[in-house]
Amino acid sequence: MKQFLFLIGVLFIALACKEIYEVPPHSLLSVTITNDSTQLQMSSIVTYQGIESDSLWNSETAVPVFTLPLSNKGTTSFRITLDSKVDTISIVHTIIQKYASMETGFYDEYKLNSIQSTHHRIRSIDITDSLVTTIWHENIKINIRPLPPGSK
Amino acid sequence: MRILRLTFVLCLLAASSYGQVQREKESVKKVKPKRTDNYIRLKGLRFGMDATRPFQYLWTKGDRYGSEFSADMELWPNMFPVFESGYEFMKIKTPNVNYSGQGSYSRFGMDYNFLQAENKNDKNILYVGARYGFALASQQVNNYRIDSYWGPTTGSYGNQTFFAHWGEIVFGMKGEVFHNFYMGWSIRCKIQLNNKPIGYPPAYFIPGFGKAESGSNFDFTYSVYYNIPWDFRKNIGVKKPEQKKVITKQVKKPVVKKPVLKKLTD
Repeated sequence: MKQFLFLIGVLFIALACKEIYEVPPHSLLSVTITNDSTQLQMSSIVTYQGIESDSLWNSETAVPVFTLPLSNKGTTSFRITLDSKVDTISIVHTIIQKYASMETGFYDEYKLNSIQSTHHRIRSIDITDSLVTTIWHENIKINIRPLPPGSK
Repeated sequence: MRILRLTFVLCLLAASSYGQVQREKESVKKVKPKRTDNYIRLKGLRFGMDATRPFQYLWTKGDRYGSEFSADMELWPNMFPVFESGYEFMKIKTPNVNYSGQGSYSRFGMDYNFLQAENKNDKNILYVGARYGFALASQQVNNYRIDSYWGPTTGSYGNQTFFAHWGEIVFGMKGEVFHNFYMGWSIRCKIQLNNKPIGYPPAYFIPGFGKAESGSNFDFTYSVYYNIPWDFRKNIGVKKPEQKKVITKQVKKPVVKKPVLKKLTD
């Protein structure tokens, strides 16, 4: 009887597990903020929103590193607020579709071609690794002007 | 110091006695007796149907189902050439992928029975075997969806046809439950052979093998069989006895002269 109940239990677990599917991974552009004068990593209160998108990706967080989702079109633009100064960055990229599994699905990886931005707070942007994959690692470095002493 | 010396001597003695025992064991190795059942027990062909194939969706991810039939015979004593063939479907429907794959497959190989028969009516077998399997299959991604902050991307991939092959090692048993009716199970280890890539997306499901992503798969089967008790060998190789010509000499019948009755004229 015990063996029969054990068998039923095993079958129940097997049936419960069989229809669990993983979500496909996401490739995100990883951005590091650096102080333009010292070239050291620094934190900044960051808010960013995709242009042509209604929702904010992230709002008012003091971070030295953050991630950005790239679009399925060739160019992705963001409005980035760094310590209350707004800049716009435009990333030109190539989309590489990847296959995870038929159970999981497909996902996109990206190859960065070029980046342009306004220069209110941002001094320059360097591409450190042009391949944006599901293993998040530094892709670009935003060099920002340090705030004048006393300003918030 | 004495204790140490004594311990050393004891260790030496133990080691030498252990070696001696081992040598004795080796010398007394049993010689396997030769099989006494070197005769054909299974007359005719045995056809089978795998009862597990229609219900594979119960334990595999996705909706996998199909049917499989087999045929085997005891061609030489304890050697069973086997042929198996079937058709399988695989469907996966998730919020991200709608996939379907299907195809036919065949396997052929040989089973060796290592269960010695007790008598000529004992037809149960415990076997190990090997198979070569191949499949002709097709797959298509009816639609896929990639969710993102910028909105979903959707698309589809058309029909892809492909050939795949693999090898199998089989262990199982077949037992006679009623006269000429058998049941049996098998455990199979399937190893994919060098298959050509089919492009994008890669092959996901190989009928008869399972997931193509993994180079090897394990499988379990449970089949029912019927043995057609037609002994086709009965008339093969058995020379018909020559019909001896019986030469019958025609024996001349002795002519019996009828007695002529002479008229007695006198």
